Amino acid sequence: MGSIIQVENFTKKYGEFIAVNDISFDVEEGSIFAFLGPNGAGKSTTINTLCTIFEKTSGKLLIDGKDVSTQKNEVRSSIGVVFQDSTLDLKMTVDENLKMHCVFYNVPKKEVEERIKFVLELVDLSRERKKSVGALSGGMKRRLEIARGLIHYPKVLFLDEPTTGLDPQTRKHIWEYLVKLQKERNITVFLTTHYMEEAEICNKIAIIDGGVIVAHDTTYALKKEYTKDKAYITTNNGPELEELLKRYELDYKLKDCFYKVDAEEKQKLLEVISLQKENITDIEIKKGTFNDVFLEITGKKIREEE
Amino acid sequence: MSTLFALWKRGLKAFIRNKTGLVFSLLFPFFFVYVFGAIFKNQFIENPIAYMLSGIVITTVFESALNIASTTVDDMVSGFMKEVLVSPVKRLSVAMGQLLSAATVATLQGCIILILGMFIGIRFTSWLTPLWVLLTMVFVGVVFSSVGLYLATVVRNGQTFQIVKTAVTMPLTFISGAYIPISMLPNSLKIVSYFNPMTYATAFFRMIVLEKTDLSLTDLVKEGMAIDINGFIVTPLMSLGIIAVIGVIFIFLSTNSFVRTDFSRLNRSSNDANALWG
Repeated sequence: MGSIIQVENFTKKYGEFIAVNDISFDVEEGSIFAFLGPNGAGKSTTINTLCTIFEKTSGKLLIDGKDVSTQKNEVRSSIGVVFQDSTLDLKMTVDENLKMHCVFYNVPKKEVEERIKFVLELVDLSRERKKSVGALSGGMKRRLEIARGLIHYPKVLFLDEPTTGLDPQTRKHIWEYLVKLQKERNITVFLTTHYMEEAEICNKIAIIDGGVIVAHDTTYALKKEYTKDKAYITTNNGPELEELLKRYELDYKLKDCFYKVDAEEKQKLLEVISLQKENITDIEIKKGTFNDVFLEITGKKIREEE
Repeated sequence: MSTLFALWKRGLKAFIRNKTGLVFSLLFPFFFVYVFGAIFKNQFIENPIAYMLSGIVITTVFESALNIASTTVDDMVSGFMKEVLVSPVKRLSVAMGQLLSAATVATLQGCIILILGMFIGIRFTSWLTPLWVLLTMVFVGVVFSSVGLYLATVVRNGQTFQIVKTAVTMPLTFISGAYIPISMLPNSLKIVSYFNPMTYATAFFRMIVLEKTDLSLTDLVKEGMAIDINGFIVTPLMSLGIIAVIGVIFIFLSTNSFVRTDFSRLNRSSNDANALWG
């Protein structure tokens, strides 16, 4: 499959300040792509430039082969955007918001009713259809924004922290839908998130820090590169285990009552374990999490500010 | 076209739903009729209530049209304009939709007061008069909506706009001849009133409502329907021309400015939205 988003040597300056410095990346059509980074790293600048709101300083940004600076209207028709801040029309009802959006995006009149029903069903807001948006809860508003972003069947859906502030059920629901959308309709989803467990669902990830891309790969590859599996072993005979670990050249640390052992080389570990099977009382093997990847790469806690 | 119509409908819906706003917008003018009508009872105006009412109707149209500025600023702050910005609609049709809905709401409000006024003092003898009155209200509505839209794109901040509104529009309505005849104003204020577009709108509208189109120029000046600037007399037709010129200038300025406004910057100043989404 080809690339639907192509970014080459994109730079954005605000006066002297360089927000994004010469970044390049591609997003494959029909994939879920996560853009991660600490606050102020250049995420929003990039997403806003791709959405035709900000002007680039230099570089080339294409969506579905169209230039975001010179073919704005073509780009706008083929994308759906859910911003970090609400852009709903608070004075109007749910139904009116969606209808207005259909007018803006030239959705054929015959299909409007059917599409509204479809997207509302999707985000579980069918019963709120006649309610004023101002009367909805924060989570409902966000769901409505996602529904609205989808109603014109965009090729690319941009989501700037789509699930921030939502309860776990709603988050799960939205994610199930995003994955389904990507599979069935071949929509490309481009998102930023603070939740590392959400980043793991994505096909590919780019991590931006200080205006440059510091990692860009599949979640699997990033995890493989930046995290190590660990085994947590509890034993009755510490000295014997330590001696074996040293002999097999496995790094370890003694924690309160267990050994934290480097578990990348599974063969060696299994041999140690089988030699000690009378003494070992408990084993737990932990895979590296995406949080570890992020910390390793950026050296910062992503949610420091919260 | 459909965008324009949808935004027009949206403006009307917002107007109809805001019932408290509607009630208060009607209370205020009638309070004025009562107060000023009493003051001018024994002066040289033959029908003070009708005189006052005609002024108040046009002032209502004027203020309601300028209100487009606060609704547009609201739309910027709430983020709705950002949604418009990332959609493929032409900004010009958005500006036009806002303009027309404001002009329509202004005309409607003017009509409500006019109809109520017909019970307490305004009489039409010709069937053509209501038609001319309506046309004038639409015209004045469009002109001052474009002034309001221009203000919105320049001011862009709800609180600042409230200050501008009180500091500018209120005094302007007071020295437009709508409530107090210009001839009664002190000289310095008279000069200011000559530069006030509202003065000409009021003079022209009053002539239409009170059916004084066939008066001689001297009588028109006496009734405050033609304006005597140190011997130079602005006829009602010239008044109409002045408003038209202002309209053309501001329609151009406001749409131009609206198309260029960077709405994305405004959303950040909205604390409510940040509290909700941050």
